[in-house]
Amino acid sequence: MGQVSARKEPLLGNIQDISHQVWLFQDQTLIAVPRKHGVVPVNVTLIACNYPETLEKNKGNPIYLGLEEPQVCLCCRELEGQPTLQMMKQNILDLYHQTEPVKPFLFYHNQNGRTSTFESVAFPGWFIGVCSKGHCPLIITQELGSIYTTDFVLSLLQ
Amino acid sequence: MISVGQPFAFNCTLPPQTLEEVNITWFRNTNKIPISKNLQSRIHQEQSWILFLPMTQRDAGIYQCVIKTVDSCYRIHVNLIVFKKYWCRTSRKSPTNLSDEYIQTLHFGKDDSLTCHLNFPESCVLELSKWYKECKEIKEERFNSVGMKLFVKNVSAEDRGMYACLARLTHEGKNYTVLNDISVDVRKLEYGVPKITYPRNNTIEVELGSPLTVTCNITDFRDNTNLRCWKVNNTQVNRYYAQSKRIREGYESSVPLEQYIWYTVNITFNQVDLEDYDRPFVCHAGVSAAYIMLKFPVSDPRAYLIGGFIALASAVLSVVYIYHLFKIDLVLWYRSAFLSTGNIRDGKLYDAYVLYPKPQSGSQSHNLDMLVLTILPEVLERQCGYKLFIFGRDEVPGQAVASVIDEMIKLCRRLIIIIVPESLSFGLLKNTSEEQITVYQALVQDGMQVILIELETIKDYTDMPESIKYIRQKHGAIQWSGNFMAEPQSAKTKFWKKVRYRMPAARAPSSSCRTASGRMSRN
Repeated sequence: MGQVSARKEPLLGNIQDISHQVWLFQDQTLIAVPRKHGVVPVNVTLIACNYPETLEKNKGNPIYLGLEEPQVCLCCRELEGQPTLQMMKQNILDLYHQTEPVKPFLFYHNQNGRTSTFESVAFPGWFIGVCSKGHCPLIITQELGSIYTTDFVLSLLQ
Repeated sequence: MISVGQPFAFNCTLPPQTLEEVNITWFRNTNKIPISKNLQSRIHQEQSWILFLPMTQRDAGIYQCVIKTVDSCYRIHVNLIVFKKYWCRTSRKSPTNLSDEYIQTLHFGKDDSLTCHLNFPESCVLELSKWYKECKEIKEERFNSVGMKLFVKNVSAEDRGMYACLARLTHEGKNYTVLNDISVDVRKLEYGVPKITYPRNNTIEVELGSPLTVTCNITDFRDNTNLRCWKVNNTQVNRYYAQSKRIREGYESSVPLEQYIWYTVNITFNQVDLEDYDRPFVCHAGVSAAYIMLKFPVSDPRAYLIGGFIALASAVLSVVYIYHLFKIDLVLWYRSAFLSTGNIRDGKLYDAYVLYPKPQSGSQSHNLDMLVLTILPEVLERQCGYKLFIFGRDEVPGQAVASVIDEMIKLCRRLIIIIVPESLSFGLLKNTSEEQITVYQALVQDGMQVILIELETIKDYTDMPESIKYIRQKHGAIQWSGNFMAEPQSAKTKFWKKVRYRMPAARAPSSSCRTASGRMSRN
């Protein structure tokens, strides 16, 4: 089947949490660290899924989320009975051009005021989060509160 | 990059984090002797951390952290660059690229917060003491320090600038101060639903088979991840027309403007098909949607068809109307032009039997006699050549009335009944056996055509005999419109045309009625 979609390139942007920690790709891990001069945040790639009508409504825009360099995509898989956030070597446009939504790679991007949440489509109720004290790897969590920050600010590079 | 005189800690972690038992040792450069684990030592190792309490200029250099697991060994190198920070002394400000400033953003018009990042092992007790802005302690009520955060109410543009958070660190009974510089920017964030400026649920006139491109114009806020596409039947057009590719969505383009981003997405019809008309093609942008609907142009083939049909129908109606207006003239003209003269061979002797109320005294009675005995014979017999049987003129005296009527009516082609208002005809048409027999003969036996002539306008037929009512309903009545003078009547008046129209087509001897004046002149 030919290319269905109209978008040529994914969106590029940075994500930081409400404690001003940016996402950093370090030693094959995505961590959140305080933004400083000399800390180069990783560029995230985002692209809206073409089939929002097949997914839950009112949860936000279903999007694929990846990194520009290295070319990986964030995905949620069950590991030892626990939903786990992983990074898979994957071109985000390949996911985008699939004829069906690829749920493990999809997140509901919900923009509420200035902050955004990223909820796993495969595991509803599980959100991308970082530990509040910082310098921790990104995870997905059901615990929304003091231990983990699940509120982020998305800034797109236009 | 660390500034001199401040406590500093660095954590050595092994990614990916494992649950295995690990043994971590810190070394300075290539020194074989590991960093002391004595908590009293200015530089020492605590679990996976290396601590400098405080940092000095001499501590700059490369450190390595060696991680040993059961079956592997990792070595992580850390290069510490140390510089002297001149807090609040603008003349000796450190260059930006050699700064340990944190960068944080406050959002305009919102309630937001700054964070004092203090990354130390748990053995260090941290207590945030003061927040500064541009070297001055913050005391405004709009700012509220809670934990490691400084909450700012209703952020304004003036809130950008250089902040600092001062914290006290207690370790093994000794106090240290940590001062973090935070460079704060204020950014305006706009959120809301996307606006579709075109289409506006409008129609587009387009010829069948022609190509068409429609652009969806959207303005949306920055930092949105909305999907923008064209759908038909709640399916993206590219998927809906995946086989034929007759209708395609174009690439999206975006132009960032000051407040928002302007997007365009095209939909292209290679050839507009019949099925495309009157069907919404919907442009979606996140939760917003607007459609176009294709319509045939005003001058399309269908409109021609409809217009042609209307024209034809009105022409037919006009012809019918004109025929109705001139029917009598046309028929009379046709008879005179094409029908042969001479006797019709139907065994009849008379063209019409004239039935009328018996003469009474008075002017109306005189008028009736005038019409029946003078004017009717003058016009129909002398001018037009018809032969009439007028009871009271043509019967042979001595014959029984019933037998005369019975015989004569069979020899007539039409029955002319002349009626007068009730006051005059009362008791005559109703009761006279002659009329009854005649009407019976005409209606039942011969199916004869009846010509009903009203001498005066008769408004009320209720008291008329049923047979007369039936005849009027079936054949209608002709209203006498002439006068009763002895002067010659013309067969070409409207009244006589109506009578002649109802009379038999062919009659002897002339082809058309002569004018009265013509006849008179000959006499």
